[in-house]
Amino acid sequence: MNGPKIYLQINGMNVITQTAVSSFVVMALLCVAGYFLGRDLKKRPGRMQVITEKGVTMLYNLVEDTMGKHNAYWTPYIGALFLSSIGGSLIGMTGILRSTTSDISTTLTWALMTSFLVWGCTIKNSGLKTFLKGYINPMNIISDIAQPVSMGFRHFGNIMGGSVLTSLLYSALAAASAMILGLIKSSGIAVIIVVALLGGVALFFGIRKKKLALKILGIALIAVAVCAALEYFGVFSEIPILEVGLPGVLSLYFDVFSGGVQALVFSLLTMVYVGMACPPRR
Amino acid sequence: MTGFEQIIGINPWTALFTFCNMIITFLILKKFLFKPVKKMIDQRQKEIDDMYADAEKSRADAAKLQADYEEHLSSARAERDEILRDAVSRAQKREAEILSEAKNEAAAIRTRAESDIAQEKKKALNQVKNEISSISISIAQEVVEREITAADHERLVSEFIGKLGESDD
Repeated sequence: MNGPKIYLQINGMNVITQTAVSSFVVMALLCVAGYFLGRDLKKRPGRMQVITEKGVTMLYNLVEDTMGKHNAYWTPYIGALFLSSIGGSLIGMTGILRSTTSDISTTLTWALMTSFLVWGCTIKNSGLKTFLKGYINPMNIISDIAQPVSMGFRHFGNIMGGSVLTSLLYSALAAASAMILGLIKSSGIAVIIVVALLGGVALFFGIRKKKLALKILGIALIAVAVCAALEYFGVFSEIPILEVGLPGVLSLYFDVFSGGVQALVFSLLTMVYVGMACPPRR
Repeated sequence: MTGFEQIIGINPWTALFTFCNMIITFLILKKFLFKPVKKMIDQRQKEIDDMYADAEKSRADAAKLQADYEEHLSSARAERDEILRDAVSRAQKREAEILSEAKNEAAAIRTRAESDIAQEKKKALNQVKNEISSISISIAQEVVEREITAADHERLVSEFIGKLGESDD
């Protein structure tokens, strides 16, 4: 498992990495999408506008529920953070770009931005004196350091852990398929035919009785038999047949679900911290 | 491509890019997405609120108008009754007046007629008396001319007087 690729190195500094490229792509996508969705709005909305308005209203409601009505003006920042985070996590699914959020530089930067916003709001709302007085207790310094670190590492760890697990799974499945195909190949042509026949029977009954599991089993067995035959006759070697399908299901959890949840958690934490620093005015 | 970074490592350049991208995303989304959409939603909300307020106002106006109208109607009805009653009483008074006037007039006409009749009667009687006297004079002349006897005389006078008494009735 590697870190982000380095594209441009100047004086030994990694100026442009894969993360930076992904980050620019996400930004461009979000800006273009935002521009087109927010363009010529009408009093009587079309289908797209209804969805946009629903999303914006949901964000506003979320922010107002978490931070209070007086903090509703934070919604654009929270929305941008949420969308950047979820977009950055999902962009990794393209396979070409790397998730921006599986780089600690990204998540830690966002967490530090949250921290600076919190400090700024505290100073603005209760004065520099009160802000500095809070550090008479040195535990507060530790908590202020721990807060961005924990936020950044939580997000990074979840997305990174997902990719690590996915890559581990890929290599495990490659090894397993190589083992199975090797076993079938060494057993001879008869075994290949038997496996294909078994698959055919399972597929037949699956279609007959309309059982999805049987159909999948039949197709898988036939595919294994075909791959084994191809290897047996020396056309291909080491076909990772088992890598088809299963990683997709796990990717649904690790990339889509985990990415969404972490984006929500990150934005919620930002909302809570900033909201505490901006109490309602009397 | 010159290789890979470490899995866990902070790259200040990446951090800077992330920071800048975040700010740009925030500003552009705010300007082009959140503000216009929020404005539109608020505008629509306001319009709906205004419409409801307007409807409520016109409903209240209509109710007020109706109450006014009903009040007007009832007062007009009362006024009409008043006028009618007044007119009826005036007419009755007038009727009585006219009746009494007519009666008076009739009575006056009658008395005048009666006095006229009495006068005419008196006049006629006088005329008759004059005629009688002239007739009696002419008769007397005739009798004188014919040389009547005492008996004739007597009979003539009594006859005449009898006639007088008859016509006097």
